[in-house]
Amino acid sequence: MMLTGIAIWLITIAAALVLWRRDRPALAKGGRFAVGTLKNVLPIMLLALPMAGFLTVLVPDRFAAILFGAETGLRGHLLATVVGALIPGGPFVSFPIVLALWNSGAGAAQMVTLISAWSVLAVNRVIVWEAPLMGWRFVLLRLVTGFWLPLASGLLAEAMLALLPPGSIGR
Amino acid sequence: MTVPHPAPPQPRPRNGANRTSLLIVAALSAASGIACWIVKGEAGMVQALAIAWDLFVTIIPVLGAALLLAGFVQAGIAKETIGRWLGAESGMRGLVVATIAGAATPGGPMAAFPLVLALSAGGADRGAMIAYVTAWSLNGFQRILVWEIPILGPEFAALRFLASLPLPILAGLMARRLPGWGR
Repeated sequence: MMLTGIAIWLITIAAALVLWRRDRPALAKGGRFAVGTLKNVLPIMLLALPMAGFLTVLVPDRFAAILFGAETGLRGHLLATVVGALIPGGPFVSFPIVLALWNSGAGAAQMVTLISAWSVLAVNRVIVWEAPLMGWRFVLLRLVTGFWLPLASGLLAEAMLALLPPGSIGR
Repeated sequence: MTVPHPAPPQPRPRNGANRTSLLIVAALSAASGIACWIVKGEAGMVQALAIAWDLFVTIIPVLGAALLLAGFVQAGIAKETIGRWLGAESGMRGLVVATIAGAATPGGPMAAFPLVLALSAGGADRGAMIAYVTAWSLNGFQRILVWEIPILGPEFAALRFLASLPLPILAGLMARRLPGWGR
């Protein structure tokens, strides 16, 4: 995580330099955006982190391994699709849940499927936002073209993991 | 999908949505905390808060940079620019541009969907609209930077990003070729 921190700061500084040379007002705008987002995100995060801890303690050891473990294959991916589609709320809800499941033995590829299903299928978002704003015809088009994406991303992740040395992504 | 729409609804003020998010996460956090206390007792609470503290300590150094980077991406690529790109390109290039624009669009559904409505009124084809929405939901840069990398780690975030990268384009191609959909 130390290396990540350094890498992200380097990329951020590079982006700042590019904006400094090309578009200085955008630099200030980006900074204000960051402060504004921090004000919104920090209180949520301070509540979401204890939730991640509580869930990690609550989910029994090996529980997720049985449902979503790396060895569960297609069954695990299909279950992850259904569960992911039903998780409501923003990233502050879904990512702590994924962390707890991962700590209790879920496979990385299965968690890719779960996050994709939460992103693309999002039953809750469809009902609250998408259908009222975009109409059911658009929702139908999006679901017809998108229902297979979570499984595809999970299987692609599995293929990529097979190429990596074992244990390079895991808990 | 080129039927003219009425003026897109104004995005609601962010504060209301943010307060709802705060209430949801407060309720869930309290409920899981109470459950943790009942099931695992005091030792479980201590363990859970230690996990939360470890996460907090890992996240804080990354979060500042992640927020700034998200801000620079947002400020560097203005909404009007995204709209211009999407309107001007068609074919395969149109889908690629829509995918990049979708990933670059920050914020929740209250920000993204009104933009899609405006695009549709401006004549973007349905393949581009599907690619845009799919890329926004699967691979939004802001969510990856602010939430996914800090909580799940950069290796996992990279794996998921790469595995999802081609999918919005495929969904867009499918939307264009869907038989019997009319316009």
